[in-house]
Amino acid sequence: MIVSAGAVVGLLLMATLTAAVGVYARRFARTTSDFMVAARAVPPRLNAAAISGEYLSAASFLGVAGLVMQFGFDVLWYPVGYAAGYLVLLVFIAGPLRRFGAYTIPDFAEGRFNSPRFRRLAVGLVILIGLFYTLPQMKAAGITVATAAGMPYASGVVIVAVVVVSIVVAGGMRGITLVQAMQFAVKLFAISVPVFVLLIHHGTPGRLIGAAGGQPVPRLTAATAFTVSSGDLWSLSRSLAVDVEGRTTATLLPPGERGGTARTTYVGVPLSTSSQRIGPPRPVILAGRSTLPAGRVRWEEGAKVTLAAGAPVPFGSDTPPSTGRAWLHPFGPLAGGSGHPLLFTYSLIIGIVFGTMGLPHILVRFYTNPDARAARRTAWYVLALVSLFYVWPPLYGVIGRLHAAQLYTTNLTDAVVLILPRQLGPAWLGEILAAVVAAGAFAAFASTLSGLLVSLGGALGHDIYGRWLRPAASARARSRAFRVGALLAGAVAAALGLSVEHFDISILVGWAFAIAASSFFPLLVLGIWWPRLTLLGAAAGAAVGGLAATAGIVITMVAFASQPLAQLLDTHSALAVVLAQPAIVTIPLAFLVMVVLSLVDGRVPAGVGSTMLQLHAPDRLGLRRDYVPE
Amino acid sequence: MPPTSARRSTSDARVATHERDREHAGRRLRDLLEQTQVGTVFLSALMRRQLRLSLAITAAFLVGLGVQPLLPEIWPSYGDTSVLGLPLPWLVLGVLTYPGLVVLGLLYVRRAEGIDDDFTDLLQ
Repeated sequence: MIVSAGAVVGLLLMATLTAAVGVYARRFARTTSDFMVAARAVPPRLNAAAISGEYLSAASFLGVAGLVMQFGFDVLWYPVGYAAGYLVLLVFIAGPLRRFGAYTIPDFAEGRFNSPRFRRLAVGLVILIGLFYTLPQMKAAGITVATAAGMPYASGVVIVAVVVVSIVVAGGMRGITLVQAMQFAVKLFAISVPVFVLLIHHGTPGRLIGAAGGQPVPRLTAATAFTVSSGDLWSLSRSLAVDVEGRTTATLLPPGERGGTARTTYVGVPLSTSSQRIGPPRPVILAGRSTLPAGRVRWEEGAKVTLAAGAPVPFGSDTPPSTGRAWLHPFGPLAGGSGHPLLFTYSLIIGIVFGTMGLPHILVRFYTNPDARAARRTAWYVLALVSLFYVWPPLYGVIGRLHAAQLYTTNLTDAVVLILPRQLGPAWLGEILAAVVAAGAFAAFASTLSGLLVSLGGALGHDIYGRWLRPAASARARSRAFRVGALLAGAVAAALGLSVEHFDISILVGWAFAIAASSFFPLLVLGIWWPRLTLLGAAAGAAVGGLAATAGIVITMVAFASQPLAQLLDTHSALAVVLAQPAIVTIPLAFLVMVVLSLVDGRVPAGVGSTMLQLHAPDRLGLRRDYVPE
Repeated sequence: MPPTSARRSTSDARVATHERDREHAGRRLRDLLEQTQVGTVFLSALMRRQLRLSLAITAAFLVGLGVQPLLPEIWPSYGDTSVLGLPLPWLVLGVLTYPGLVVLGLLYVRRAEGIDDDFTDLLQ
């Protein structure tokens, strides 16, 4: 069942183009050092476009809009944080790291402390963060293919995983500056042009935001038929007239004062249904025109249910529906649902802003700058380019709240960017715009996914196999190991990706950032600016920070499925917030461990003076000596 | 930096002054390279200036972002004010923050290059 021919064409076009350029470019980019030497002459502006092309992931292209549609204002922190991350990268590490010549964090870890063992720890963290960051890309891939071609989510994930892994294993898309710069252009075009058409059609942003905030519950703009399947859950804020085709059974779960427990804390994870406060369940048989009372409805069999135009939309999950004012104003359900909106908001901002530099695929391209001056300018251009992009995605979320409310019921708010253009008339215009946004979405998840798979393949193939398991392996064997590594990482990412269908893309991304911010950010900043940092302090701090953040996030994910844990977190809501958004605690913790242990330890690495000289001596003195042999 | 042949061909007096300057600078550069006490002091002064700049820029943007969640408390009608048809919080966070970041970044690049250039001039 093809849902949108335009979207399918857009996806196929982008996939073919990417694969073709990948195969063609293979001739130029055979080995890592070829790629670096060839790219040395890249001017900052082009380089910045390429970096932005790799950075703007599915979270930016799809996730932000989907989350704005659900939660409104509070979500604007995400794109601001993604952009501000480049300012932090610019002011603390862009210049020195380029002079040092380290082009991955493991390179820096090893070179700064003369320690191959520390390199292994850093590689482990790269794999952890990389895998976390592939999850949202996989989810985006799944829903993009699913909404375009009408396939199940799982087949979307598998198809995209196969396509992207094949391209990476065939040697494509690695360091091809022009391809990545082109992908930035595709994404910027695909996010901004359709939004202008949508605004012409639907009204000015001010009016739309006002209208969206003015409605207590989003309403369907047209009569809509939903296909429900067994186990689907609807939350209704008021009673609702429906038309059921044939006969079906459902269970009414009215809001109750007794029975069950109250789950009040919401921290960005779908609430576990078992812990909701509900009254006694009441099974009903529905046929033809029926009225569903306010509360929850669990569908027990598959059915086709039609709702009239103007009906208040049922929410498909237990995520607290954000009502008018709460959606429009700061501290709505996203931050406010936790009961500690300030704590939640600050921790979210800190995690995203300081996490950018710790993502495994980000620093690599800075190495393609000829010197530190170019690296700084590149980082600044990236900041400007991504800022230009991030103004647009929230508008899709605003328009979606008014004109694509059915997505609340089907839990597909993450697809709002893909769906809105398709609904425009005339049909030819809708299909063309659908092709444009589908191509942009493909560029978004494919570029980030391939960047991550290259990093993960490198970590598994070059580091774990080439340096650790078989130090004597030939170049050919290492190159094969890189491919096997990328394949393995792709398979694991796809397998994990199948399990995150119910998590919001941007929430998943926030977690990857929080882990990076708690481990690599302190390592890079202190490693570059504090000569007295010792190996012991740095390693212990990065490990403690990274593992503490991971533990918090894993506990939050487990609480989704485990009722006793969910109850425990409810009674300790500040703890729940800190576990779900750990950066505010784990970043200071990592810094503290690094500083205290370094001072106690006192074994400053030999030659730290020349390391500092290399990191900070201005380019024109000509002291640079690249750490990575060319 | 190797002297260019054009400089060599200028008048003798200017060459002499130039050579003397270069000698001083050369000694400082050697200090730096050999990490003598003087060289270490030079380098840490440079690092301190750069780090102070980085921290100032970071502080500026953290205050700019961090004050926004507090605004509704300080100014209760912040959420209900609209400018250019947009609710003020949306305009400030969703649009105006970006040019703010870009300007701070530009300030940083200018100042950081200036500090590096001052240091280089001292040594050459």
